[in-house]
Amino acid sequence: MWNPYRRIPALQRRLLGAGAVALVLGAWALVSGAGWVSPAKLPTPWGVASAFGRLAMPDQSGDSLLFVATKWSFLRVFVAGVLVIVVGTPIGILMGASPRINAAISPLVDPFRSAPIVAVVPVLVMWFGIGELTKIVFLFMGAVVYLIPMVRDAIQAVPRTYWISARDLGATPWEAVRHGVIPMAMPRIADAMIVSVSIMWTYITVAEYYNAEKGLGQLIQNARRFSAMDQVFVGIFVIVALALVTYQAMRALKRALYPWEAE
Amino acid sequence: MADEIPEAPAAEAAHAPDAGLHLSLQGVVQRFPAPDHDGEITVIDGLDLEARGPGIVMLLGPSGCGKSTLLYMMGGVRPFDVPSPTEGVVLVGGQPCEGAHDDVVMVFQRYGNRPDLTVRENVAYPFRFKLWRDRVDPSEIDRRVDEMLEAVGLADKAKLRPSQLSGGQNQRVALARSLVLRPRYLLMDEPFGALDAQTRDEMQRLLHDLHQTHPCLVVFVTHDITEALTLGDRVVVLSTRPAQVAADFTISEPRPRSTTWHRSTEAQRLEESILKTLHGGSGHGHLRVSV
Ligand SMILES: Nc1ncnc2c1ncn2[C@@H]1O[C@H](COP(=O)(O)OP(=O)(O)O)[C@@H](O)[C@H]1O
Ligand SMILES: [Mg+2]
Repeated sequence: MWNPYRRIPALQRRLLGAGAVALVLGAWALVSGAGWVSPAKLPTPWGVASAFGRLAMPDQSGDSLLFVATKWSFLRVFVAGVLVIVVGTPIGILMGASPRINAAISPLVDPFRSAPIVAVVPVLVMWFGIGELTKIVFLFMGAVVYLIPMVRDAIQAVPRTYWISARDLGATPWEAVRHGVIPMAMPRIADAMIVSVSIMWTYITVAEYYNAEKGLGQLIQNARRFSAMDQVFVGIFVIVALALVTYQAMRALKRALYPWEAE
Repeated sequence: MADEIPEAPAAEAAHAPDAGLHLSLQGVVQRFPAPDHDGEITVIDGLDLEARGPGIVMLLGPSGCGKSTLLYMMGGVRPFDVPSPTEGVVLVGGQPCEGAHDDVVMVFQRYGNRPDLTVRENVAYPFRFKLWRDRVDPSEIDRRVDEMLEAVGLADKAKLRPSQLSGGQNQRVALARSLVLRPRYLLMDEPFGALDAQTRDEMQRLLHDLHQTHPCLVVFVTHDITEALTLGDRVVVLSTRPAQVAADFTISEPRPRSTTWHRSTEAQRLEESILKTLHGGSGHGHLRVSV
């Protein structure tokens, strides 16, 4: 039991996982179905399922409300995610590779990890209006302050012998970073990207809080206004599912790109 | 960095083995900030060492006596955050050694092969750097890489990755990656220290063979007396804290040296003298004698 290094069989792992989920679902069904809690506070699982069906169904105009909301949320996370990675990764690499750059930039980045980024939303609305730009900028800022330090740490975690040996073999300092350090840090940098995209999924509802016409955050917001708790749950579950799918997809991509990482 | 090196093709230099091969350490002092309190510790204090011509010079001393520090000085890489050497001069081929030198290549105990590259790509790794790309043209690179893979016996493993190789094979890759540059000086820091006894024997034999085909000046750091006697044309014994040359033995017996020689009175006497020199010191660290 208390052996942290033991590998358990895949079947056992899945059964344990599925069992725990089933247990929670069962408890939920019991508590809500028996009428111990008002449906306005806790909908029943089947209530949520049927709300899902209704929302997923195409309406008169032929569009599925849920599908459109999902598409918009996904697009926002995708665009912001690309920006975070394209902007944040080079900054983190430069900080990791140069203590001077790190000393200059880290006071500008590190504090924001613990800053109440949500409180910044009104400011962003003042600056960028209530359109798409604010939402993207918010998601970007929320995630990039995590990505940059993680990429920096990934670079600094590479044993210095790789840099030394490259220098010894005739590399310029930058070449030693480029060929001796960055390739070794790539798996950890990929992990950092995966984490920052996951963080964006947790921020999506906040990003879509203000004046969103479409999106899962808006869907939840709307449902709450009409006390449709079952629809709120649908929105939450879809976000969780999307986050899981992106996470697993990015993990698979990472494993395909860096098969040597295991050693 | 090393711009003073004339544009002579490195290949030619390798075929003129003893053309001024000369390493010189003069009055070398190395101080480091003491880890636990203010002040400094003197690790090396006024060390002089001369080495000339192709050959294998063994630097033998207990662990922690400053062997790696000396080797880094000769290699011109300064991984520490302190100046090295603190005092004294290091000359490579008569020139002060400032910064990594193209004629000097190091091999470490941790081979440092890139895990994402194949064996072949690892051997060709130095040619990713502009310095070598400008000097050696692509067809010559291919030729040299093939030749080195053959020489270290990994021609059939060229497409594998480091994680698919044993420790000894990984060290072969690292050796090939260094020798592909045809260095005139090869500095080895306990390169076989992490290998099992049998693999170590094989690697010592390989180094001997490679040295026959690529004669260069090897400085080989070890704390293993048997290894020193197996490989060295010279065995320089270092004292500890602060390090100085405590004794300097020349071994004329040609390599490869047989077990019979290792059991001979000459070898036994050498071993005894080395042990005596070492125990004359303050007795830090530890040494290894393998059978
Ligand atoms: N960068 C450094 N800062 C402080 N002390 C160091 C540093 N590098 C080496 N030393 C000290 O110098 C001594 C010699 O180190 P080293 O040359 O690695 O020994 P060896 O290779 O003979 O085992 C050791 O006691 C070590 O603690
Ligand atoms: Mg050492």
